[in-house]
Amino acid sequence: MTWLIDNAWIAVALPFILVVPTWFAGRLNKTLAPVMAAIGPLVLMAAGFSAIFSNGEGDPSGGSISWIPGATDIHAGWMLDGLTAVMFAVVGVIALMVVVFSIGYMHGDKGWARYFMLLSLFTGSMSLLVAADSILILFVGWELVGACSYLLIGFWFEKPSAAAAAVKAFMVTRIGDAGLLLGLALLMREVGSFGFTEVFAAVETIPSGTVTAIALLLFVGAAGKSAQFPLHIWLPDAMEGPTPVSALIHAATMVAAGVFLIARMWPVFEASETALVVVLSIGAFTALASASIALVQRDIKKVLAYSTISQLGFMFAALGAGAWGIAMFHLVTHAAFKALLFLGSGSVIHGSGTQDMHEMGGLRHSMPITATTWLLGAGALAGVPPLAGFFSKDEVLHAVFGASPVAGVMLAVASLMTAFYITRATKLTFFGAYRGDGQPHEGGLSMTGPLMVLGLGAVGLGFFGHGIAEVLGEHAESLDPVTAIVSTAIALIGIASAWWIYREDVVADLRLQSRVGRIWDAAASGYGADAVAERGFIRPVMSGSRALYERFERSVVDGAAEGFARAVNGLGRILSLLQNGDGQWYGAMLGAGVVIMLAVVWSYDSINLWAANVSSWMGW
Amino acid sequence: MSFDGPFMIQLALGVVALLTALAVVAVREITRMAVALGVFLLSVAGLFLFYGASFLAAAEVFVYVGGVLVLMLFAIMLVQRTDAGRAALESRHDIGSASVAIGLFVMLTVALRGVSNRFQGSPAGSSVPELADVLMGSRLVQYEMAGLLLLVALVAVIVIAGGDEQ
Amino acid sequence: MMGVLVSVAVFCIGVYGVLTRRDIVGVLASVEVMLAGAMLALVAIASSADSATGVRPLAESIEAVGLLLLVIAASEAAVGLALLVSVARRRGVTRIDELQEVKG
Repeated sequence: MTWLIDNAWIAVALPFILVVPTWFAGRLNKTLAPVMAAIGPLVLMAAGFSAIFSNGEGDPSGGSISWIPGATDIHAGWMLDGLTAVMFAVVGVIALMVVVFSIGYMHGDKGWARYFMLLSLFTGSMSLLVAADSILILFVGWELVGACSYLLIGFWFEKPSAAAAAVKAFMVTRIGDAGLLLGLALLMREVGSFGFTEVFAAVETIPSGTVTAIALLLFVGAAGKSAQFPLHIWLPDAMEGPTPVSALIHAATMVAAGVFLIARMWPVFEASETALVVVLSIGAFTALASASIALVQRDIKKVLAYSTISQLGFMFAALGAGAWGIAMFHLVTHAAFKALLFLGSGSVIHGSGTQDMHEMGGLRHSMPITATTWLLGAGALAGVPPLAGFFSKDEVLHAVFGASPVAGVMLAVASLMTAFYITRATKLTFFGAYRGDGQPHEGGLSMTGPLMVLGLGAVGLGFFGHGIAEVLGEHAESLDPVTAIVSTAIALIGIASAWWIYREDVVADLRLQSRVGRIWDAAASGYGADAVAERGFIRPVMSGSRALYERFERSVVDGAAEGFARAVNGLGRILSLLQNGDGQWYGAMLGAGVVIMLAVVWSYDSINLWAANVSSWMGW
Repeated sequence: MSFDGPFMIQLALGVVALLTALAVVAVREITRMAVALGVFLLSVAGLFLFYGASFLAAAEVFVYVGGVLVLMLFAIMLVQRTDAGRAALESRHDIGSASVAIGLFVMLTVALRGVSNRFQGSPAGSSVPELADVLMGSRLVQYEMAGLLLLVALVAVIVIAGGDEQ
Repeated sequence: MMGVLVSVAVFCIGVYGVLTRRDIVGVLASVEVMLAGAMLALVAIASSADSATGVRPLAESIEAVGLLLLVIAASEAAVGLALLVSVARRRGVTRIDELQEVKG
């Protein structure tokens, strides 16, 4: 397997190469598409795990080729260090699970081949992002995953809401990308290169103000991609895409790219106190606010969407506290249990035909495997020991509390809400009486299989915290007993109170809603973030554009073009007067022309002399 | 500038030529114009003689006066028959054409200002035997071309003017 | 020099006539005047010499060239007159303004 480690670029290139063949093959033979789409993730897994288990001897492997030669040579290259290896493993496993799950979930969809082609494209793009050896190549991968996200959110593009959601996602992340690009440019100006090794070596030499600026700009990009406040508004809408897509992209991998970016560029962030404070604050705030929104959602996918935003906030808070290794640990566990929960919800949606939890209930009887795996995922999310989430969240809380007690308290409250909302969702969906009018049933093995695999992950990954830290080259910390007890208590309180309040299911929802009406509605609508975006940005820009079009484009630009055409026309009409058919007139013109030309030619020297005199007189 | 005999002759002939040329472009009756043209051509022949190109002078009288002018008179008479009444030749005198002509005059004079005033003698090859040698010798091609041109002109005239009779 | 002046003047008078005369016959006659002026210039210059260097230009076969010019003039006149007769027969008028068909 060392061969694969040394030539890991194949793992990146392979999914790209397979994109078009997958589409073609899928059109010819239905089974071929998922098979080919699975090759990429498998190779990725192989590369990632071999690297992880090779004990990291020697330098990380890598390679590059010259891309844009010039004053500053720009290279395109890859590297496989601990961070990349971990991401390879995560992306590979989740992508593989999603491919398998999709076989059952997307059965009968007329975009079958296109779907798997896009999955392969995404796998390639994401692996490019994490394997880049320079921030420029990372940016290439960054943009590519953004494009894939657009294509996959809008997969059912005939649905207007889906198309709109795709555009919204792209636009909002674009704002983030603009910041990222500026940060890139600034970095290039200071360091003279995009490569990570050169950048890290030069961080000391950059003036502190500039380092902060760069870090903040990079964070803007990360915030866009990872849906942190205020660039979080696209993620809930992104639920319009197929649920396996939500699992892959908007839970486990792409949205984690922001966290990955900061981890990758850690020396830059480490050098700026201010940037870290900003990251910490935004992360903590987002975690808390988003968790509160998740409390009042009816759509099961929306609950998970806001949950993702909240958990990403946890990761950013950890980064802001200086513990990037812990943030990565939580990224890994979150990938496992969030993907599990999303696929579980996919199974529920597939089986019951609805996404509204008010129309579900008691599904544990009709969908036992889904229910069991869901419980594991929910427990992990809530932070119940000894499930995975407990370990990673615990370390996050400990690190954040150490950096800022305020933020620590915010995260603690968010954890409470997390336990609450996931229990609410679980209760409404799987327990109680069935309130819908369909025939809920379990999906096939293609859907339950991945659920079980991820269930194992949700259970066992927590114990790999030290291993992951080692691979990343970070100092591994042991669990702090105080934090452990407190977080467990929070989790149990949350679960218990939710369970009790929702013993009457939907009725409880309605009663609560009537009690706290205003707050409920505010939270449900995301505290008006979308309205703010609409009124604050979209409307001014649109009216500004329209005004510009009417006032400027129509009158000035078009006027100039038309005026020019009219002038030429008029000139032509005037000149045509010369063609009057009078032969003697033509002859006279000829004679006059001869005379004039001769005059000019003969007096050329005198004219030159005169012109020279005039210029010297004018002082030119 | 010496006002001796040759000079006066040249001057007289030149004046006649100029005046009759002006008449050609200005008179209003066709026949008068034809007469003016005739006198003009004769004065030109005189000038040729003065410059020592005797053969050319003779040829000019024969061809131009005797041929072209007569032809013109015939054509005028033919045209007169279809035209009602005596022909009135009009000219549209305008300043534009005049300035073109004057401008041209100035230009050409300036271009040719290096020519001396003294008559140096007959132009070379002005005796008939020498002329024959040149025409059949060094200028043979042009001579043959001239013959061809005449043939073509003859055919053209027949085709154009001899065409459909009403 | 006088010869040059006279011949150039004659030529330019002919130019004026070509641009001015309203009848085809008038134009043809003016063309003859122009040609005569050119021939005169040729002969006049050939029999004089450059006042600066004293060299006589066009030393040989002037009359032969003049003869050829004569031929050209004659054939041009003939064809022009034939056109005049043909036009007069077809259109009845020989005035140029009434014969114009191409407009701007």
